[in-house]
Amino acid sequence: MIFLQQLRGELRKLFARPRTWMGYGAFLIMEVVILMVYKLERSQQHMRGLVERNGLEFGTYYSSLTITFTIMLLSMFLLGSIYFALVAGDIVAKENEDGNLRMVFARPITRLRLLLVKYTAICLYTFSFVFFVGVSGYAMAVWAVGWEGGLFVMEPKMKVFAAYPRWSEGAARLALSAAGIGISMITLSSIAFMFSCFRIKPAAAAIITLTILFVDMILQNFPFFKPYESWFVTWRMSAWVYLMEQQISWPKIVESYSVLVGLNVSLFTIGWLAFQTRDFKT
Amino acid sequence: MLEVRNLTKAFGGKSALRDVSFKLEKGEIYGLLGHNGAGKSTSLGIILGMVEPDVGEVEIGGISVQRNRGQALRKVGAIFEAPAFYDYMSGWENLRILMGYSGGFDARAAREVVERVGLTKRISSKVRTYSHGMRQRLALAQALLPEPELLLLDEPTDGLDPEGIKWFRDFILQLREERGMTVLFNSHLLAEVELMCDRVAILREGQRVFEGSVNRIRDGVPTYQVSLETWEKGAEIVRSLGGEIIAQDKIALPAEIDPAQFVERLVHAGVKVREFARVRRSLEDVYMEILDGKGSPN
Repeated sequence: MIFLQQLRGELRKLFARPRTWMGYGAFLIMEVVILMVYKLERSQQHMRGLVERNGLEFGTYYSSLTITFTIMLLSMFLLGSIYFALVAGDIVAKENEDGNLRMVFARPITRLRLLLVKYTAICLYTFSFVFFVGVSGYAMAVWAVGWEGGLFVMEPKMKVFAAYPRWSEGAARLALSAAGIGISMITLSSIAFMFSCFRIKPAAAAIITLTILFVDMILQNFPFFKPYESWFVTWRMSAWVYLMEQQISWPKIVESYSVLVGLNVSLFTIGWLAFQTRDFKT
Repeated sequence: MLEVRNLTKAFGGKSALRDVSFKLEKGEIYGLLGHNGAGKSTSLGIILGMVEPDVGEVEIGGISVQRNRGQALRKVGAIFEAPAFYDYMSGWENLRILMGYSGGFDARAAREVVERVGLTKRISSKVRTYSHGMRQRLALAQALLPEPELLLLDEPTDGLDPEGIKWFRDFILQLREERGMTVLFNSHLLAEVELMCDRVAILREGQRVFEGSVNRIRDGVPTYQVSLETWEKGAEIVRSLGGEIIAQDKIALPAEIDPAQFVERLVHAGVKVREFARVRRSLEDVYMEILDGKGSPN
């Protein structure tokens, strides 16, 4: 009960900060731009070619569901990661920098509990942000092209191809993929959270996290590392795409998410140990 | 109420505290003095469990902060110099969040405390619109909400105007009067410490070099300001009584000598006394003597 009260306070703090809302604004703008691009004739022709080459009817798959899926596929890892790293990198380091932590430490709360509250808040923020992008993207896409139509999925890197002509099935898969992306992105937030627990500037925590993510992504694309791709965090984080397969490969998904959960626990533990052994001078 | 035992702490090989001990009885106001870097804030950090000592322990109400911080700090409130609130939130929201870390927020109790510190009208405003004085009042409110038995004040009146300082002092003294609250007062403002505290300790380079009651400091060896027509004769009488000539117009007499008798002897000896007055040593005098190395550590 007290944990929930503390969590509510943490979320209130998180969502009272203007920086937290920057990401929401940026994504809304990006969604508008993507929708405008989708309305262009050339863009529609490109998509028509892609759909029809696979023997499918363009009219069925030029839909709000397909557009929403594309928005999430393209934007979440690149643009989303920036905001997750910023917010999670701030959550401890910024409070230390601003002096808020010493006010908190005058209270009888343990450091472990404080970190658990903050980490839970960050996980909820990450998860809800992904759903916000999905819902807002879908709402805008409905406004632009109408609600009807199926879902067309093509992700060459993970070798996933699927088509769901019925709206209900497509919508269910899209919701499932949003949950998958949310869980995947928690790993990114966990990296930033861990650095935030160190004696570090908040911006440094975000920059180091993004550096790790991008280096991991770049190396993963080197042909040399192809046999070792499962060792890369970003490859594991992409496992959500398997949720879009016609026949979901649950073993592959469970394996990747087990690795990610293990990694998240390790990152939290390292952050906690660093935080626990630190001195906070008044 | 608070017992600090043999605290020793070094940061990166540089000693910050060396074997510092002191004890506060219930209802006592205790001043911790020292120059910047003397170890006052480190002591406070260790008392609150923010800093882990290399050696030593702190007990609050018989509970070790190092072994059971959560339990030990249950009835503790603290105020820091320039308290850092969440500026983008209202004073009320800040209280709600901070009290969440203390185990729960009681809106009725919060309203009473806010009323008492005189912040009712502005409690719903964002903290970034508060003046320094209002921030200190909010800091006082958050410190009082857990109904503390021990209040830790770290330079709380720094930057306040004279009215603010007086209001703060009266408030703390009233709290002690009403609730028997114990207060550890860490400050540079010696006059404030002298007015508020029962006892003081002075830290120098991480060591406690003085501890004593404020009354003892004030009384000390009786010193007098004298103006005599013929100084030589007067000096002779001072020496004959076992006193000391500090300066041409300043003397110290043994505590057992009645100053009235001394004046009588001067008059009998035909020395005209133009002025005679007791000089009280201030805390500042003692502080400067000790930090200049003239005072003896105890």
